[in-house]
Amino acid sequence: MNELIPLMVIIPIACGLLLNLLHKKDTAIKILAIVVAIVLPIIPLLSNYGLHYFGGHAPLIENPILLETLPSQISQSALAIFHPAITYSYESLQKLFIFVLGIVAFFAIFTSLNETKKVSGPYMFLMFMGTAAVTALLLSNDIFHMYIFFEIAALCQVGIILVSSTKENYETALKYMILGSIGGPLLLLGIGFILGAVGSVNISDIIYAINQNLVNPFSQTFLIGFGLILFGWLYASGLPPFHTIKSSIYSKALPHSAALLQSFTVVTFIAMGLVIFRIFSYLPFLKVIILVFSLIAMILGVTMAIIQTDIRRILGFLAVGELGYIGIGLGIGTTLSITAGLFQAVNEILITALLFIGFGTVFYLTNSSDTKKLGGLITQNPKIAIMVLLGGFAMAGVPPFNGFQSKLMIIESALKAGFPEISIIAVLVSIVTFMVFMKAFYSVYLKPKPQDLSIVNENIPKSTILSIAVLLIICLIIGLFPQLVTDNISPFVAGLI
Amino acid sequence: MIEYVLMIIAVLGCVLALMQRDLLKAAILTGINGACVAFLFQFLLAPDVALTQAIVGAAIVPVFLALAVYKTQRTDDK
Amino acid sequence: MIDIVIDTQLASLFTSAAFIIVGLFAAIFLDNIIKKIIGIAFIEEGANLFIVTLGYKPGGIVPIFLPGMDAEWFALNSAYPLPHALVLTSIVIGASTLAVMLAIAIVLYKKHGTLSTSEILGDK
Repeated sequence: MNELIPLMVIIPIACGLLLNLLHKKDTAIKILAIVVAIVLPIIPLLSNYGLHYFGGHAPLIENPILLETLPSQISQSALAIFHPAITYSYESLQKLFIFVLGIVAFFAIFTSLNETKKVSGPYMFLMFMGTAAVTALLLSNDIFHMYIFFEIAALCQVGIILVSSTKENYETALKYMILGSIGGPLLLLGIGFILGAVGSVNISDIIYAINQNLVNPFSQTFLIGFGLILFGWLYASGLPPFHTIKSSIYSKALPHSAALLQSFTVVTFIAMGLVIFRIFSYLPFLKVIILVFSLIAMILGVTMAIIQTDIRRILGFLAVGELGYIGIGLGIGTTLSITAGLFQAVNEILITALLFIGFGTVFYLTNSSDTKKLGGLITQNPKIAIMVLLGGFAMAGVPPFNGFQSKLMIIESALKAGFPEISIIAVLVSIVTFMVFMKAFYSVYLKPKPQDLSIVNENIPKSTILSIAVLLIICLIIGLFPQLVTDNISPFVAGLI
Repeated sequence: MIEYVLMIIAVLGCVLALMQRDLLKAAILTGINGACVAFLFQFLLAPDVALTQAIVGAAIVPVFLALAVYKTQRTDDK
Repeated sequence: MIDIVIDTQLASLFTSAAFIIVGLFAAIFLDNIIKKIIGIAFIEEGANLFIVTLGYKPGGIVPIFLPGMDAEWFALNSAYPLPHALVLTSIVIGASTLAVMLAIAIVLYKKHGTLSTSEILGDK
């Protein structure tokens, strides 16, 4: 059923617009949001692999009757192969990521509906719109389409922070927006350079033009375009120099929306990173650049996480650091390493969502997230404490969880590709991550309870506990049967190289 | 020849807008700049884009800016 | 002596570069939020102008196919319409980003009583 491919984007957008209209009708919003959130992970499972041309405009070569009527300048040239329509390509990788994104979106929406007393239509709208935007980023085979949804995703992230009503959220939003409004037009400019050189914005066409020597891929036009698109990618995925603003974005959002925001970041990182990798893989220095930025992200992420005292800030920096692992996978550039990097991306989306929702219960209970003021919460709810601890193990790469499998694969691929230094750094960063996590865990749950700590809400909603438990079970299943995920990734990677 | 004049006006308008102390004047100069770009699009054989730019660049953006200035303060105090 | 002919396309590329440079300068170095936002609008305008200029054809015609035109003559003489279609979207995106930023600026002005970014973002 190829018709389902555009529906993956259309359904959340339509649902979001409807929810915005239903503002103040709480039960209607709840029912609609839950139903659509359940539908989101199901659609990718039902859909078939394939291409979807918007408006039905397939390339001319697929329509021989029309092709015969055209003059020979068109039918004999590359124009017959170029894609006139916006194209969505849906393959095993997209299926996997849209499914995982749907699961995280479901749990984020589910917990937010139960934790917030007043259901807000616009808030739901932003969550659905953001999900639709990153889904479109994954599906689209068109760099201009990518730019549009890049901007929509950035606006949705800002909107989610604005409605979160945490302290100083507007200041952070303004900073993010100013940087984003510089990064967005520069990305557009880069797309303009590529468009000027090739004459098409479809990625398959650009690759075709490069492979058939229709354009000179080492010309300055291409190199400037590459630099500007790389800048947009760094901004969207929060690699250095944007790691500080990205982690403060996470810390200003409510915990469940932070879980969703980090999944947006990871998916954007993957989607745009793969586009850059597909188009510019002929550049000899591409892999080095990706590796350098990823290593800096890893090291800066964990070292800056050590000095923070706010648990949400700590998690934000750790999430940025974990992104570096995916980047290393892409940067080494062998089949095994890219598979490992994408596998790590799936795991990171799930684990970080678990940790944000899990530590979010602390914020829900006490209205504070400062490690100096917290303590002794293990007596309050031991079940969640243990599940969060297991989530931390998964993040740091302790068997039998999924983080272990993917990090092992990354280290193995680095060794095989002849980069033992990278594998050493990866192991070290993993150890420091574990240390930082244990420090945060100790100061929140284990250290004696301070006198002045007041409990605002007594009971954690059952839905939150359920979400954490299900996410943990998914992590465990992937950890025990990694081929469930890697079997979906490896055919895509084989086609990539 | 008109297009060269328009380009010079557009660039001058954009520099002048940023040099104003009065933010309302800056907003209006942004509108002039947007209108010049709209005419330029017409000269660059893009009438559809010119129409959109004329509405957005010469009317909506300056009005938004003027509204924001009206809601905040009018002078740029350094 | 080399003659440098500045035709419409080249001049318009220079204009877009001027927009982007002025806009970047304003967005990075100016202190007032409204001025920063105006600068960002200029960067967007410059990028749009750049992309529209790519589709320009000197001495060409507007890419609208009228009845009675010869298809081959039209294909050789019309401007390239794909960039126009792209720019239409990005103009609207630029306007909406601007609106959101202005809304944030108004809220921050009500909270801090100033439009200076260094004062708003500095005291933490």
